[in-house]
Amino acid sequence: MVNVSFRQVTKQYENGFTAVNELNLEIKDGEFLVLLGPSGCGKSTTLRMLAGLEDVTGGEISIGDAKVNDLPPGARGIGMVFQSYALYPHMSVEDNLSFGLKMMKGENRKSDEEISNLIVETAAMLGLSEELQKKPKQLSGGQRQRVALGRALIKRPRVLLMDEPLSNLDAELRQQMRTEIRRLHDDLGMTTVYVTHDQIEAMTLADRIAILNEGELQQHGPPMEVYRNPQNQFIEGFLCAHLNEIVDTANTLFGGEEE
Amino acid sequence: MISTKTVATEIHDDLASRWYVPAEVESLRKLYPIVVLINFVSLGIFVLRNDSESIFSSSMQIVVSIVILFLLSKLDQGQRFIRDGVIAISGLTILLSVLQFSSGPQIIIDYWMMLWTTIPPLLVIYSVSKPIVTLWASGNQTVRSAELGLFRNRKVSRIHGMIFRHIALLHAVGFVVLPILWIIDVAVSPGNSLGGDFFDAMTLEHFNHILSSESFWIWTRNSIIVSVGTTLLGLALAIPAGYAFSRFKFRGRDFAMFSFLLVQMFPGVIILVPYFLVMKALGLLNTSIGLILAYSVTALPLCVWMLKGFFDTVPKELEEAALVDGCNQNQVFWRIILPLSLPAVAVTALFSFLAAWNEFLLALTFNTSEEMYTLPVGLASLISSTGQAWGDFAAASLLVSLPVVVLFIAFQRFLIEGLSAGGVKG
Repeated sequence: MVNVSFRQVTKQYENGFTAVNELNLEIKDGEFLVLLGPSGCGKSTTLRMLAGLEDVTGGEISIGDAKVNDLPPGARGIGMVFQSYALYPHMSVEDNLSFGLKMMKGENRKSDEEISNLIVETAAMLGLSEELQKKPKQLSGGQRQRVALGRALIKRPRVLLMDEPLSNLDAELRQQMRTEIRRLHDDLGMTTVYVTHDQIEAMTLADRIAILNEGELQQHGPPMEVYRNPQNQFIEGFLCAHLNEIVDTANTLFGGEEE
Repeated sequence: MISTKTVATEIHDDLASRWYVPAEVESLRKLYPIVVLINFVSLGIFVLRNDSESIFSSSMQIVVSIVILFLLSKLDQGQRFIRDGVIAISGLTILLSVLQFSSGPQIIIDYWMMLWTTIPPLLVIYSVSKPIVTLWASGNQTVRSAELGLFRNRKVSRIHGMIFRHIALLHAVGFVVLPILWIIDVAVSPGNSLGGDFFDAMTLEHFNHILSSESFWIWTRNSIIVSVGTTLLGLALAIPAGYAFSRFKFRGRDFAMFSFLLVQMFPGVIILVPYFLVMKALGLLNTSIGLILAYSVTALPLCVWMLKGFFDTVPKELEEAALVDGCNQNQVFWRIILPLSLPAVAVTALFSFLAAWNEFLLALTFNTSEEMYTLPVGLASLISSTGQAWGDFAAASLLVSLPVVVLFIAFQRFLIEGLSAGGVKG
């Protein structure tokens, strides 16, 4: 696996709005990094620049040793899970999973046998073996999310990107998928960048969280460390106060029950 | 006759009797304005036919129908003499219509008018002389019978409403189906008459004549070349244009979209002369290519707008997912967007095909030599030049609409999908 680095990365739109301003961030090999922040803070833009879906207007992004600023998304060796799943509606689950493999060119191209083995393996890993012939329309929300995950994982990407992948699921499924995503990361050991605005999700999933606000990186570090040593007012309000509130609410609820 | 046990309260007795009007009377009050209206239509038909005898009797019908309408509105509790008057005048109406049509109806529309002058008065006599209406009109009803009547009204008026709706629908069906039946009748009748009874004599001579005539096949070939060519060229231009308008921001985009619409707003006749001059200058008169070009261009704005509208509903994330999966922009379009848009593409294709298949004016103007006629122009020439070959004309019209019908049936599923939904949520 590989490390990812952002050096002075800036994204400025044509209308002059700066979405991300001089971001410096190193993501270590095999690390699970969560980009956390309120909506409009630039976290999704950062991820999309890493994926190659947005142009970088300043600075340098590299995956491994190579600068990827100008590489098309397909050449970066990444897999991505979208918020709305973005499964291809006209293809079966099997074709959705294998589409990326079939698009590979040159020496990376896999034989049909390898592809079908990978499909079986990935489907088994995600509990989708029964659903391979179905169309996305016929699947439940949780199953669609698994297919989206499988589609990203099947290529064994060097970096796995996830853009608020759980926000369309109900609470129970979200909990379940959260555990599963962390398990998959630990099993496969790939570098993962995960975008969310949910503090709990960030705290429970991450090896390290990076908190953004208004295009600026505020603080990064292991979750508990950031929680214990917030470096500015924003972190205190957005992360610490929010988490404390949840704890207080829970205490009041269950404390009340005991009395 | 009416059970008195079931109704308990006598507090609002006054209210029930005052509100109660039998459903029969209420329905007749709704029906009779329509009867009067249709009588006026009949009068108009007789005026067109210049049939002075029928004009007179039809006017009489209008007068008595208005009298019935008036009496029905005055009919109320304790107005028994009005009820008797309604019955008497309805009888008079039936007598009138028997006299009017005693010479026998001629064509189908006469049957229709006869039904509308005899059945409503019969209905009036039947309903108004029912015991329940008689009781109401004579003013002898009790409060309880009024309450029971109100209860009964709900069911009866629902049934009446249903009958009303079905009669209205039958008229709509007749309006659509009769012309088709008529042209089928003309096509299978011997000779070239447009009248006569429906399907009195059957013959396939007109079909034989058309199918064995050389020019019909030449026109068919021309029409197929022009329509298929228009469809292919139109799609080849409209699909990329629609996609570009939907996905890319570029200078002049909004202006271009708007100017497309602007062109659509002018009636076709305006562009006829300029088009003719252009085609003449290019030497494309009396060619299929000329028509293909003209049709593609005129169909283009609507096709582009339709396709753009559909492409707009395909989420951008699908394209991004395909990019991450290793597609380039071209592959995204061919492998993801186009397969997803097949319903919309099919609808657009059908639209341009039909527009070209049915177009008359441009074809008539551009292609003046007989071996370059398209079917619509060729059909028209059957009527104008070689006498009035109505039978051949009708047979050929049916043959020409056949591909249209087949296409519609074949594309039915797509049409519904393509018109109703862009439902492609992952």
